[in-house]
Amino acid sequence: MTIEQDWSGAADRTAGARPSWLRLDQTRVLAIILAVILGALALPPAVILILRSLSITNPDATIGGWTLTHYVRFFTNPELYRSLLNSLVFAVFSTVVALLFGGTLAWLVERTNTRFKALAYVTTVVSMGTPYILYVSAWLFLLGRSGPLNDAWRTMTGSRQVLFDPYSLVGMILIEGFLWSPLVFLLLSSTFRSANADLEEAARMSGAGVLRTVWSVSIKMATPAIAALALFVFIRAIEAFEVPALVGMPGNIDVLTTDVYRSIKESIPPDLGYASAYSVVLLVAVAVLLHFYGKLSRNAGRFSTVTGKGYRPRQFNLGRWRPVGDALVIFNFLIVLVLPLLALLWLSLLPFMRPMRFEAVAQFSPANFVTVLSSQYYRTLALNTLIVGFVAATAGMILALFTGWLSARRKPGGQIIDQLATMPLVFPGIVMGVAFLMIFLAVPLPIYGTIWALAIAYTVRYLPYGLRYTYAGVLQISNELEEAAGASGATPIQSLRRIIAPLLSPALLSGWLFIFLIATKELAVAVLLAGPSSPVVAVGMYDLWVNGQGGELAAFGLIWAAVMTLVASVFYFAGGRTGRTAAH
Amino acid sequence: MNRREVTFALGSVAAAGLFPWSRAHAASPDLVAAAEKEGKVVWYTTMIVDQSVRPLAEAFQKKYPKIAVEFTRAGSGDTALKIINEGQAGRVMGDVFDGTATFASVMPAGFVEPYRPESAAAYPDEFKSADGSWHALNFYYLTAAYNTDLVSADEAPKTYDDLLDEKWKGQLVWSVVPEPVAAPGFIGNMLLTKGKDAGTAYLDKLAAQGVTNMSSSQRTVLDRVIVGDFPIGLMVFNHHVEISKAQGAPIEWLRMEPLVSSASLLGLIKGGPNPNAGKLFIDWLLSEEGQRVLASTSYLPTRPGVDATIPTLLPTGPQHFDTTFMSPTIVADNLKDWIAILDEKFT
Repeated sequence: MTIEQDWSGAADRTAGARPSWLRLDQTRVLAIILAVILGALALPPAVILILRSLSITNPDATIGGWTLTHYVRFFTNPELYRSLLNSLVFAVFSTVVALLFGGTLAWLVERTNTRFKALAYVTTVVSMGTPYILYVSAWLFLLGRSGPLNDAWRTMTGSRQVLFDPYSLVGMILIEGFLWSPLVFLLLSSTFRSANADLEEAARMSGAGVLRTVWSVSIKMATPAIAALALFVFIRAIEAFEVPALVGMPGNIDVLTTDVYRSIKESIPPDLGYASAYSVVLLVAVAVLLHFYGKLSRNAGRFSTVTGKGYRPRQFNLGRWRPVGDALVIFNFLIVLVLPLLALLWLSLLPFMRPMRFEAVAQFSPANFVTVLSSQYYRTLALNTLIVGFVAATAGMILALFTGWLSARRKPGGQIIDQLATMPLVFPGIVMGVAFLMIFLAVPLPIYGTIWALAIAYTVRYLPYGLRYTYAGVLQISNELEEAAGASGATPIQSLRRIIAPLLSPALLSGWLFIFLIATKELAVAVLLAGPSSPVVAVGMYDLWVNGQGGELAAFGLIWAAVMTLVASVFYFAGGRTGRTAAH
Repeated sequence: MNRREVTFALGSVAAAGLFPWSRAHAASPDLVAAAEKEGKVVWYTTMIVDQSVRPLAEAFQKKYPKIAVEFTRAGSGDTALKIINEGQAGRVMGDVFDGTATFASVMPAGFVEPYRPESAAAYPDEFKSADGSWHALNFYYLTAAYNTDLVSADEAPKTYDDLLDEKWKGQLVWSVVPEPVAAPGFIGNMLLTKGKDAGTAYLDKLAAQGVTNMSSSQRTVLDRVIVGDFPIGLMVFNHHVEISKAQGAPIEWLRMEPLVSSASLLGLIKGGPNPNAGKLFIDWLLSEEGQRVLASTSYLPTRPGVDATIPTLLPTGPQHFDTTFMSPTIVADNLKDWIAILDEKFT
């Protein structure tokens, strides 16, 4: 409060004797402008969804009076409960897979004498830059009826039947679980790294074995962080679209998000009323989950006993179990990096899909790469995506800088602005897509079907993530600097520009790269908003997959993933390996 | 071969004699100028991009370098949906559409702009609608195909009844997109040729075989047969099989009679952003030059005088086969029922 008084004191001299709520100093003007911008960006999606969910949609797509029929239809649809059950089973078990696999790996790499640790980091960095759809298509090929696994099974048994069909709920769970394991690894490795080893050593000295120590000390200490992370992965799995669309839909396994997609994409006219009612219910569900996530993550630091001592905690000696740890690290490297990339390389070099057998090598040709590199279409895809990612990341971080500063410094209006900026977090991607589709169709501006529609939607969607970077960043900067600047006559904007922004630049860069990386690979929003003249990479890849151009998809995907991995490495090293993605 | 099919075949023979293909065609300079001013055409297509869309777009752009061809590929159902939804929202994005079932949905919704291009004068009446709301762009023939590494020619099913053999249980795959050239068309073919009762009885037995449904294009069904996921695919395009065979894929199509035949209907979207470029593009696609490019991709041209590159793909080719033609009228009258049967029995 003292700072505010200092500043308003400076304003007092110019504003005379007006009451304090009328004084329009720079901070207030900034807060008002920001509140208006954020209100205009964050509120309409929710408002339009609620309105449409309660309105009658006429056959000619105009809107009639009020109704509750969409909600009645929603809750009385027997298929809803099947989709809900599928969604829950899918989300719970893929969270378990991601946590068990990624968590074990993080512990092994951070706290034991397992070898080949660098492989785990390489895998994570590459996975950050690779679009989900590439992973999904590669794993579908590997696990598919004619993939190496089933191929070996059939060769062994001589049967035509398969051992494992990936187009199933089990397939969906495994693929989603592996998809999220690198993020779990990244976040938990920072938790394990900052854990205090004194307690573990005390346990060992009191005679506890490795397993006992791990169970009753290491895991117990990390429990709040693990619980928060589990809920986070669970929410993301409930919201997930890629795996349900590519694996679930062909296997006739519908979940909540694919139901929303179908009600828009598979009816004439699109059932926007029903989709809106569906979306509102999903919003409420996610909001409730996020509420608990907020509570859990506030407690996540409860046992993080970081002290001033700057040493790395001692590592467990795995003893004769060491090869098992090594094997798991290598398994991860193979499953999440080498095999998917090999599968993509295989598909990209062949004129048509073939099982992984030696005789196919004779058919290798660079034709797909030549097509991709020489085609205008792929250049347009890449360029559009880079523009969208750049604009969304830049706009998002500018808004996040001001919001984070106002909020972290508890300026007037800071809290409202923070809440407005955080609101998009409750929107699953597909729901955000539905909302913005309706908004852009309704506004008389030529935005619908252009890349600007995507840029705006992504700015709103990822603003909360950017905000976590700037908020935490501002908190780390002492007030003294701004006070000194204020005392020397600098306006708040000047000190923001000359002091805060430069000091915040590492956080701004990390946040920018983070938004850029996810905005360039996410499918759920883009699948509803990208028009024929504004294709982006994720949608282009989805089309290629659905339309049967797997070879070009693989060739383009490999090139794109290579470029994005470079960006991801910058992110990783800019973030100083601190696992700053923990921001969300 | 039904009556309509005969008319088609006879028409093509007669027209070939009447309009020798050497006659050059040039679009009117006014249309070209107006189209160049618009600078691009947006094509909502159902054809496979690498096989035919890209070669066609490239050839058109070579002739008219000032007009870019932008395209999105989807099935007939999705394409019709997009056009209708954008039209009803007042945000028409596309100029030209094609597809086997697109027209049947888009026309009643009122989003087709009739247009009679000069180049279409050479087409017989069966290949175009009187008011110019559609023109046949290319022909399709659909049948079953098998993976030659997994199934020998002797072992392969020869008739529809052979598909009911115990050994094909769980081994069949098809696309369930809402089109006459996918599972709904297979159902229609059985009902039309076997009659309602026998057809329904057959479909019940086929459903008991457990056909795997795919909601993506017929091309992806064929790819999964080629890779060996399934030994037999139903309702795949015979020219897709030939294209893959030419690349060395272990695949062969079956003359399982009657095959399903269909035509892709080309039309202009009402209120499209580039109406002149749309007209010019349609004019070019139906012209001799456009149809030759189409034929060069192994697709089957409709223009009299332009020969298919692979004549065996045609019922009128060296090896005759019977077909059931999914005419625009049959599709408009029956497609919904067939989709309902598909949903009821097979999903």
